[in-house]
Amino acid sequence: MTTAAIKPLKKAQKQTQKVQRPRNVLIVGVGGQGVIMVSKVLATLCQKQGFEVKQSEVHGMAKRGGAVFSHVRFGETVYSPTIPEGEADVLLALEWAEGMRWMPYLRQQSGTFIADTQHIVPPFACRNRTRGAQSGYVSETIETVMSHVDNSFAMDAMGIAEQLGVVKAANTVLLGALSTALDFDPEAWKSVISMFVPEKTIETNIRAFDAGRDWALGFDRESELRNLTDTHSLQQEGLAEVKVDRSIVEITEEWCKSCDICVKFCPERCLVLNDKLIVEMAEPERCTGCRMCEWLCPDFAIAVRTPDQISQ
Amino acid sequence: MSSVLNLQGNHACALAAIAAGCRFYAGYPITPSSEVAERMSLELPAVDGIFIQMEDEIASMGAVIGASLGGAKTMTATSGPGFSLKQEHLGYAAATEVPCVIINVMRGGPSTGMPTRPAQGDVMQARWGTHGDHPIIVLTPWSVEEVYEQTMRAFDLSEALRIPVVVLIDEVIGHLVESVDMARFKAVKPVERKWADSKKQGFQPYAITEDFVPPMPRPGDGYRTHTTGLTHAESGFPTQDPETGQRVISRLLDKLEHHNKLVESVEQTDCEDAEVVIVAFGITARAAQSAIALLQKAGIKAGLFRPITLWPFPDQSYASATRNARLVLVPEMNAGQLIVEIERYQKDGTSVVGLNRYDGEAIAPQQIVNKVKEVLQNA
Amino acid sequence: MLNKTKAAFEIRDYIREDLFPHFMCPGCGHGIAMRALLWAIHDLNIDKDKLAIVSGIGCSGRVGAYIDANTFHTTHGRPLTFATGLKLARPDLQVIVITGDGDCLAIGGNHLIHACRRNLDITCLMLNNETYGMTGGQVSPTTTRDRYTTTTPEGNYEPVFDACELAQGAGAGFVGREITLQTPSLKSLIQQGIAHPGFSFLEVISDCTEVYGRKNDLGESPQMVLSQKSEFRSDSYGMIADEVFQPRNVKTGVLHKSDRPEYAEAYQQRITDRVKK
Repeated sequence: MTTAAIKPLKKAQKQTQKVQRPRNVLIVGVGGQGVIMVSKVLATLCQKQGFEVKQSEVHGMAKRGGAVFSHVRFGETVYSPTIPEGEADVLLALEWAEGMRWMPYLRQQSGTFIADTQHIVPPFACRNRTRGAQSGYVSETIETVMSHVDNSFAMDAMGIAEQLGVVKAANTVLLGALSTALDFDPEAWKSVISMFVPEKTIETNIRAFDAGRDWALGFDRESELRNLTDTHSLQQEGLAEVKVDRSIVEITEEWCKSCDICVKFCPERCLVLNDKLIVEMAEPERCTGCRMCEWLCPDFAIAVRTPDQISQ
Repeated sequence: MSSVLNLQGNHACALAAIAAGCRFYAGYPITPSSEVAERMSLELPAVDGIFIQMEDEIASMGAVIGASLGGAKTMTATSGPGFSLKQEHLGYAAATEVPCVIINVMRGGPSTGMPTRPAQGDVMQARWGTHGDHPIIVLTPWSVEEVYEQTMRAFDLSEALRIPVVVLIDEVIGHLVESVDMARFKAVKPVERKWADSKKQGFQPYAITEDFVPPMPRPGDGYRTHTTGLTHAESGFPTQDPETGQRVISRLLDKLEHHNKLVESVEQTDCEDAEVVIVAFGITARAAQSAIALLQKAGIKAGLFRPITLWPFPDQSYASATRNARLVLVPEMNAGQLIVEIERYQKDGTSVVGLNRYDGEAIAPQQIVNKVKEVLQNA
Repeated sequence: MLNKTKAAFEIRDYIREDLFPHFMCPGCGHGIAMRALLWAIHDLNIDKDKLAIVSGIGCSGRVGAYIDANTFHTTHGRPLTFATGLKLARPDLQVIVITGDGDCLAIGGNHLIHACRRNLDITCLMLNNETYGMTGGQVSPTTTRDRYTTTTPEGNYEPVFDACELAQGAGAGFVGREITLQTPSLKSLIQQGIAHPGFSFLEVISDCTEVYGRKNDLGESPQMVLSQKSEFRSDSYGMIADEVFQPRNVKTGVLHKSDRPEYAEAYQQRITDRVKK
């Protein structure tokens, strides 16, 4: 190890020694996104900084798309491996809805919320199947969250990675943002990241990390919020295009054979068979655009248009 | 180099297929036709063709139709039991109008019968073997040279009319080695299938055209049509509408009637004023050829009517050939199959008599002579 | 799902819309399988003009007619033979066979094993609904033991075929199984099968809701789709402690993959060697 790397490490140790209680980072997302990889990087980093680390993860179901979360706790001494509600210092969400779902775990006022704005609807997350039960996919918009959480960062990590031409490094972009919420030296982060990524991609990942860090450091929540509010008022006055953020379910009535599959399989229960026994959208505001109905309709009577398809 | 080759009937068949443009052969080994497959496996690769020995007779016929749907000129060869197994697919080819050539080197039946012995027991199966009304062409060569000629012609007819063509070869001819002068086949130009090249939008693959033969859509050309063995409308899609059903099946059947001149081929020897006309095909016609010479020597006005195209039966030529006949003798190596068709055209003053043999031996000329004399004496 | 795709899949680009609604019964799994197939075709960027769908007889055989491609509805049990001829004569075509459990395993069993043995580059999609639906619900080689059909009034007493094991044993280059309920996984399996150079055998666990389902009291369509699939689990579930989610005797996913020589390639190689000599 070079002396340059050692020096900031000592400094970091000194700083963090002041912290009496363990620091809690909750990393959430859906299967296949890389939650485990991200938390491994963080855990290794903490360990190298001389902290005791506890990392516990839940893989959900072994399928892509299932919910995955990982608790990382570090400090002088850490007893419990899991973070109690309301005690996460940082909530890092690789997927928007998962971030919303775990919001109660975030420490009020001082907690930092970092979320990737990409939406991935877990297709088989059929939680409560009874009518009127709480919706499975969150409806909070970026605006709502940002106005309620002081330290909130809503970032399009995939977009940033795409701009750099390194789509696969989206998680490293998020790590860059995360690094601004924790008191570790950026160089220490980079050396740990280099351990986890394929050798050929070290350079691109370092660039992704820097891009994420720079983005977070330059992020001005107040002006972002103003922008969003301005856009809304312009939209209300008809001066700006309204971005539809809800999926639309198109139904070809003549093709529906009343098999009831879509009605019963909709995770949010938004479909019904009407008095002619033809499927009908009863509660459009609950639709998450998961496409379950479209996939399972044997008669191709249902087509789901997601917000990006509609805006196109 | 001489253009005369000494060829076995089955080999002549294979060579003629190649010359006609056959580029796909699928078959299954069966006596006495196996030499056709063997020769094809040798010849096809040299012309960038495909030879495949399939798992059974049904599969070979399926593969032949599949390849033809793809655009290749195709052939298979078989014998009695195998021909039975191919019948369903033969019907499919007829209904969907997919060109293909089926060689049936006939052997003794019923069932496994006498695999190495000659017989002509497939006359009716060749015509009516598959279920339902369907068009089919059956050719019956009587020499190795004619095997070559008729096999080539089978391809031409099949491609031109989109009808499966069966070539019935006698076991004796399939295994006979004769000299064939190839010179006369050199200049023959094979007929090519009529491919669709009209507008793709709203294309009707089974449209009723002037010549009753709709141009065939080639996969990959952008027509994206449907082919089905179900009764289909002009669009190619299945129909249950009685009126449409009647119309499209009529067109299918009328196709042969319409092209009768092209399809028909007969050979008549001394029939003009014949009192005795012998109707025979294949190897039996060769015996009959000798027989009429012997009968004429004995002062009997005898002629030979040889339907080379056995199905559709050349009824008009037959009627004209037998207009002066008192006796029509039908020698065949079966218990009486062609005679059933001939009896349909029987008129007053003419008696139709059969001479049948199904013991695995060919009919000899003297047998025919004796039979004629016997019938005339008893008359 | 996690990747952004270029052009969104629109099923109407791949079907013969004027023939819709299709003739299959309400809740029939074949429609779901058809979507997965078309979705895979879309994602593989296959040109419809170069796509040949060959099907046999039965409910599965009728699926082809609804696809906007070169479609061939052949004879009972024999689509693989037609496909073999077609693919050999036209290697430029993407040949996909749609068949059923009766079509493929009973009357067409011989063709299946030899198609597997040859390993010609064809994709065989077998829609297994455990019965002969078109003819009124008779017993098939895959009818679950003790289930009632119109020809097993006392319940089925015949052993059941494991089609995937059969295909693998016979030499198929790619073998997989998936349930219609897991549409994205099914699509991905089909995609892999088509992309595999060689013979791919894909068993789709479909549902005959109206005939077989009713006869056996398997519930309404949605119930049947759920319950009939309870036997099928992906291999990866083997790690899960919760017994309910453990795989039983029927596994899904890619079950076998080998790089045996593809038939047409091997043929051309051998022929070239001989003819060039």
